[in-house]
Amino acid sequence: MRILLEKLLINYPFFFAIILFVMGAFTVLTRSNLFKKLIGINIMEGGIFLFFVAAGNIKGGAVPILVDNPGVTYINPLTSALMLTGIVVSVSVTAFALALIVRIYKIYGTTDARRIAEMRKEVKERCQQS
Amino acid sequence: MPAVITANLPVFLIILPLIAAFILPTIARRQRLQENLLLVVGSLGLLGAGYLVYLVMHGGISSVYQMGGWPAPWGIELQVDNLASFFLLVVALIILPVFLYSRRNMAEEVGSREKVARFYVLILLLIGALAGMALTNDLFNVYVLVEVATISCVGLVSSRNHPLSAEAAFRYLILATFGSALILGGIGFIYIITGHLNMGFAAQELVQVWQYRPHVVWMALIFLLAGFGIKAALFPLHLWLPDAHSIAPTPASALLSGLAVKGYLICLFKFFYRVAVPFLLQELAIDKIMKWAGLLGIVLASLMAIRQDELKRRLAFSTVAQIGYLFLGASLMNTRGLSGTFFYLASHAVIKSALFLSAGMMISVTGKKKVSQLAGIGKKMPVTTAVFTIASLGLVGVPLFSGFVGKWYLLLGALDSGDFLSALVIIAGSVLCAAYLFPVVRLAYFEPAEIKEAQDPGIPQKLALVFLAVLVVLLGVMPGIVLELANRAALDLLTP
Repeated sequence: MRILLEKLLINYPFFFAIILFVMGAFTVLTRSNLFKKLIGINIMEGGIFLFFVAAGNIKGGAVPILVDNPGVTYINPLTSALMLTGIVVSVSVTAFALALIVRIYKIYGTTDARRIAEMRKEVKERCQQS
Repeated sequence: MPAVITANLPVFLIILPLIAAFILPTIARRQRLQENLLLVVGSLGLLGAGYLVYLVMHGGISSVYQMGGWPAPWGIELQVDNLASFFLLVVALIILPVFLYSRRNMAEEVGSREKVARFYVLILLLIGALAGMALTNDLFNVYVLVEVATISCVGLVSSRNHPLSAEAAFRYLILATFGSALILGGIGFIYIITGHLNMGFAAQELVQVWQYRPHVVWMALIFLLAGFGIKAALFPLHLWLPDAHSIAPTPASALLSGLAVKGYLICLFKFFYRVAVPFLLQELAIDKIMKWAGLLGIVLASLMAIRQDELKRRLAFSTVAQIGYLFLGASLMNTRGLSGTFFYLASHAVIKSALFLSAGMMISVTGKKKVSQLAGIGKKMPVTTAVFTIASLGLVGVPLFSGFVGKWYLLLGALDSGDFLSALVIIAGSVLCAAYLFPVVRLAYFEPAEIKEAQDPGIPQKLALVFLAVLVVLLGVMPGIVLELANRAALDLLTP
């Protein structure tokens, strides 16, 4: 138990990454408000980004700008660079999802997934008549 | 062929649709020109993919393409092997008829003529991403390409001019992004314990380190299975698929059901067989999860398909069932099972596009969505109904049609590993498939006509449908080169 705690303390960024991931996943799966679902996705992705960046970090490591002095440990810049791409993807997905929410709101007049499920039949009938 | 083109052919196949996607919006007002451009892209793609298959089969091209000439641990590689050229050929064979079908046929489903160009751009982006997924040999590239494909898939679903499309697309987007986060997590685990993003190098490390960190490897593989499972509609994770695939515009439904889902599967197979080795999958019991998900998918999704009255929804549920076959075949871990999986993947791609295109044509001409309302359509639209019938026979697995060859190999693979339950389910799946497809055919031909006015579509659409129907028969009668490629791809993956 003690060893586990010590390991957790040393690797605390991973611990927080897991908490963020689970929080996000829980929000996506349980909340019915579409905005909250979207925020949940973002929190979840934030957890993954933290996980990656923490994986590249080395305690006491220097900024990875190569200068001529031997004996310096550099942190791994690759994971941070990868997460730059990940953040771009996440932002574009968020923008797209917001655009979809606007369209849904125009049709249903609500952003609550449960009410939308109730109204779906009505909308279906309305569009079959017209 | 000039040496430059031959040497760089794999990259051209990825770039071609992307360049076309860039050019299309600039000619958004000239519809005729756009559609001709698409046909040129489709034919060039088919030529290129065919030539690549020829080169790969005769050893005329090096199996590793280094992007920008940087060698492997630093640079990004493309793996030009049997699996990649096989999937590229399948993609090229499907997109040409889809482009033909959408010729002067899209304005109604998308909303207006101006929006057609956007629809085409999304299709081209999807194809570029699929070509990349087939070829890539880099873990992070897989993630980026999967995201490109996902966003364009969701865009295609939401492009339908229908009040329910936005909601179906939103649900798809949320679940698919959930899947991407899982995939990224799985890639992260693999990177942390191996220190490589290149699949070959990661595999070498993984074989050595997995004994010390079996839990991490297990987590990585479970994350990847769940993530790709959501995107490829593995059975309990398929909840988004029926809505999204039935509401998308018809050519998009054909592409989504026929190709997009398979692109994710190909990536998953790369992770499972190239990065992890089959022995590792068995050791960590991943193959059992795949097998049971596949078995349940085949039976339950088929039963759900029987209960659907909307034709496109029925076909969408059928896709979930057929994906079950692919996971089942992959879990068998022997050459015949895996080559059967690949061949079935190709034949399902062709068959499902033919089914969706012909069903979409019936629905858009008559305006009737339900199976029960389409009685007697066989006399009004003979060509379309004939194509639907041929594709149904193919999906059920009647001999001389392409589904039969795939199912036969899957069956042999199941018997090779002594798995009689799987063999039984493979046969039962065929019977269930007949139970949800043949009533449509029976109603179409042998019931008095309820529909007054309906006629076959124009020449481009007819050509597209007939092209796909000929492919269904051709793959069944002469599986030759495609089966050979599938065999070689399976051998590649199973012998490290």
